[in-house]
Amino acid sequence: MTTRVVVVEDDAWLAEHYLRILRRGGYETYHAAHALGAIDIIDDVRPHAILLDVLLTGTTALALLHELRTHADLTAIPIVLATNLADQIRLEDVESYGVKRILDKATMHPDDITAAVRGVLA
Amino acid sequence: MDPSGNMSDGGRGINRVTSIGVAAHELKSPLVLLRQLALELSSGDVSPSEQKHILGQMTHISEKALRLTSDLTRVEGQSTLFELSPVNPMDVARDVRTELAGLYKAHGRSLKVSRIRNLPPVIANRDLLRRILLNFADNALHYADVNGAVELQAQLLAERSTVRISVRDHGPHMPLANWRKLTNTLEASQPVYARPQSSGLGLYIAGEFARSMNARIGAIRHQDGASFYVELPVSRQLSLL
Repeated sequence: MTTRVVVVEDDAWLAEHYLRILRRGGYETYHAAHALGAIDIIDDVRPHAILLDVLLTGTTALALLHELRTHADLTAIPIVLATNLADQIRLEDVESYGVKRILDKATMHPDDITAAVRGVLA
Repeated sequence: MDPSGNMSDGGRGINRVTSIGVAAHELKSPLVLLRQLALELSSGDVSPSEQKHILGQMTHISEKALRLTSDLTRVEGQSTLFELSPVNPMDVARDVRTELAGLYKAHGRSLKVSRIRNLPPVIANRDLLRRILLNFADNALHYADVNGAVELQAQLLAERSTVRISVRDHGPHMPLANWRKLTNTLEASQPVYARPQSSGLGLYIAGEFARSMNARIGAIRHQDGASFYVELPVSRQLSLL
């Protein structure tokens, strides 16, 4: 069975980069550019993991995390945050939202993306 | 900001220290992306066509970052008086469309210019007006939906004394709280984060450039996106001929 990953990232070219990396890693990928679209895609696709940016256009990732917590069938999906604000977010503060890993966009390597997704699925 | 969404004057310069932090933050995004793409290229996993595609993106990202740094230099040097003269706003709009055509094409979008007949010239500095519209159009590119059109529009306002030049995008509806945050921060002449890709510093820069020309910027929230505009006084020089 293919492992499905939804990427929520409003920078189109960074999202494209994530999707290429994840597809090379053997994942089936889906993309949402903003939080509102992400809810629909997540609801349709039922991904095994979500790669999520924090500073999204319009509604922020926090609102999306809150929304996901309200859907009983979506709360178990592990989430990887990939953000420029990694130094301002503590994992223990967001773990209750299903966040399992935080990647710092400024220092991460493309391999870290697949490694993080693999890690949260283990 | 008044009820119509126009920015008020004032506050210029008081947020310079804040803007340095925001500039650093905003320049981080293109640098992060360039680094990621460079690492991807160096991995050797990319096909020749992907390599060409990624190199094209890297060029556009670098150009955008250079535009931003160039604008910041201009903002910093605002003690110099900018020369104002009669300018055809639609000529500038067409220049902006041409300048951003490659970037828009790389994103699979297009930037349109609405035809307006008999629009009078405005009093402006051509380069500053161009930079304002570049910032608006760049902001719209990142905010608009994939199939959402972006349009440069112009209209003559009441009593034929002002021309409003807008960049209209079609994107996700902005929550009211975010919109209030954006407009309040525009009023205070501070960079804003409500549209994270580019509007923060870009709008701040646009506001500073507008003030240098006795113009003003503002924004209108639509059900399906937003318009960011600059209002400039009509040139009476030519109408007297």
